[in-house]
Amino acid sequence: MQKYAVFTGSCQSLPAIQYLLQSNKLGCVVLVDAEPNPDLAQLQYWLQQNNIQVVAYNQADDSRVLARLDELAINRALVYMFRHKLRDKLIQYFGGYLVNLHPSPLPEYRGPFPLYWQLRNGEEVTKLTIHRVTESIDDGDIAVDVDIEIHPFDTMNSLQQKVAQVVPYLIDTFCQLDEQQKLSWHKQAEHAHNSAPALTEQQLMVNWYQQTAKQVVNMARAGNVDSGCAIFAVGRDMFQLLQASIVECHLAGLQPGTVIEVDRHQGLLIKTKDAAVRFDVIGTQHGLFDGYRFAVLFGLEAGMSLSDI
Amino acid sequence: MEKPQFGKASALGYAEPHIDELLKHSIRTQLESLLKSKVTTEQRVKLLQKSFVEAMTLALSDTKVAHQQLVKAFESMYDQAVQSMALADLSQEVLTRQYISATGLVMSVHNCKHTIKDVYRIKGYARGIDQAIRGKLKNNSTITILYPACGPFAPLLLPLLSYYKNSQTFDSEQIKVILVDVQPGAVMTLKQLITDLQLDDYILQIAEADATQFTPDVAIDLLVLEAMQHGFTKEGQLSIAKHLVQFLNIDGWMIPQSVSIRGMMVIGETEFNQQWKQAEYSHSLNVSGEAQQDRVELGEILTINKSTLLEMQELELQDGIKVIPASQITLPNDVDDMNERILAIYAHIDTFAQEGVGQYDSGITHPKPDTSFYVDGKPRDIEHNHFVANSGDTVQFYYQLTGLPGFVPVKV
Repeated sequence: MQKYAVFTGSCQSLPAIQYLLQSNKLGCVVLVDAEPNPDLAQLQYWLQQNNIQVVAYNQADDSRVLARLDELAINRALVYMFRHKLRDKLIQYFGGYLVNLHPSPLPEYRGPFPLYWQLRNGEEVTKLTIHRVTESIDDGDIAVDVDIEIHPFDTMNSLQQKVAQVVPYLIDTFCQLDEQQKLSWHKQAEHAHNSAPALTEQQLMVNWYQQTAKQVVNMARAGNVDSGCAIFAVGRDMFQLLQASIVECHLAGLQPGTVIEVDRHQGLLIKTKDAAVRFDVIGTQHGLFDGYRFAVLFGLEAGMSLSDI
Repeated sequence: MEKPQFGKASALGYAEPHIDELLKHSIRTQLESLLKSKVTTEQRVKLLQKSFVEAMTLALSDTKVAHQQLVKAFESMYDQAVQSMALADLSQEVLTRQYISATGLVMSVHNCKHTIKDVYRIKGYARGIDQAIRGKLKNNSTITILYPACGPFAPLLLPLLSYYKNSQTFDSEQIKVILVDVQPGAVMTLKQLITDLQLDDYILQIAEADATQFTPDVAIDLLVLEAMQHGFTKEGQLSIAKHLVQFLNIDGWMIPQSVSIRGMMVIGETEFNQQWKQAEYSHSLNVSGEAQQDRVELGEILTINKSTLLEMQELELQDGIKVIPASQITLPNDVDDMNERILAIYAHIDTFAQEGVGQYDSGITHPKPDTSFYVDGKPRDIEHNHFVANSGDTVQFYYQLTGLPGFVPVKV
């Protein structure tokens, strides 16, 4: 009999919890004993309303959580949206059945921000992967995975939603194979081209000299809305670029970052090193604006440079 | 404050037009003044004509006119002109569109409207044009003037024509004008303004066209060129001049007759800040001797006149960028603080005869600092396209004819 603990810290794991609950495989949910945030508080409330057993995870000591898991006869664990590294004792406890849900075609995009970096790099397909938890992050053998198409207009929220929708299917597949003892674990490829590290402040700034139009567009949608967005500067002021589109531009001899057009219909067009981008949605302290209104309100003129800070 | 009642039947003697909300916002003062004064159409037109004539009378006066008196007269001309603009029924689209074309920056009509307040630019040009017209009409019964990229108010000519008409100096048989602008909103405004000023007889043609492509049907006696920004950058002044100079009569004149673009190495704080702390206003007469002495003049980078334009050879670089070779300059090697200085490029405009627009007289002659030009120093940011040279180096300047024209230095 499979009895799962779900290690999580976010409401985004609810599809996994609900699936296990409905299929009578949920033993408990393990939450980090840390500063509460709105997402975690909402999850706690939902768990309480549904009378789900909650176990507190102490970041300094595994013995209490292990004892509690033992009491509850937990023999499987699923880690999803749990931003803490699990230690060897816990890994050993589950004897190879502590698995992690990671939204990338591993070994690509190991790290805490896989969806962000896949969007930013313009990937067209991702995978939701179930793999064994080992002491190295996102490194264990893979049991099952499923393809998820990335729409060219997807943002972080819409892609997270797509991923959430396939979570029950993937867990169901995993559980059935487990029950039938047909799980086939395979090692991850040795080399990865991309990783998914936490973002630095510098990585959120649009660099007109280095980034192509497509890279700026993807950076904006990857950051839209709550991943820091793509930040661009006008003089000393910083603004958020939430949506941009690629525009052809054959003007020669212009520096990347130059404002090339302000027009009510065409919007605000900025030269990139290879083409141009239209600023579709811009976040400011005064609200959200389209490029045209932003340009008129904030005094952007054709010929100005956004790369001179 | 009570809101003006736009769009309703008017008691002012003319139907109030649909005014775009942006234009209404930016000229609210003038529109309120128009409504409060409750003038008829006829009275408004008279006030407009009067403001143009008065501003030009002061500009052409040979006796010294106080700066504030000039500013007030030009402000009044602007106030009246924007009322005509409001009547031209411009949509926001035509009012605000601004873009970089293949040959230069095309400013929005909304932004161009302020040029008519640039007192010393208009004064310097109008006085020069006036002398050129007088000179031409000595030997010709009629002359044709071409004014490309003239903007919504054609400020270098319409005030002058108003003055001629009012003073009966020259009539519409003697002067014919072709106005060209690529912005539809500029053409719409011009038509309204010319009707209001009752100058239609002087106007041979108003063309909505790119001045770098425009072909006049008649030979031109005077070619008036002003489309430029400080440092002789951004706008398509050189491409326009190079194209249109071919349509000048063999004895035709270009106004300005000469533009000299010069470079200097300055301490930014001294040149652009300290120098102006005590000055009443920015003008070549108010520059400080101390700041002038502190400059390190590099000499002339480019001269533009009718003959240099006709001889000018374009070079095409590999990436399709066209350039015109300008001067070579050797950077002096006896300046101790060269690494603290920045390059500033400025234009001196000789409009005609002894008239002109000096440094700081206007936005177009304001020295333009170039912070990408480093001498004896290193840029902080290596990603930008900086130019790095040392004292004693020889620098060849090129003028690039791109969407944002300007000077490009190359170390020899």
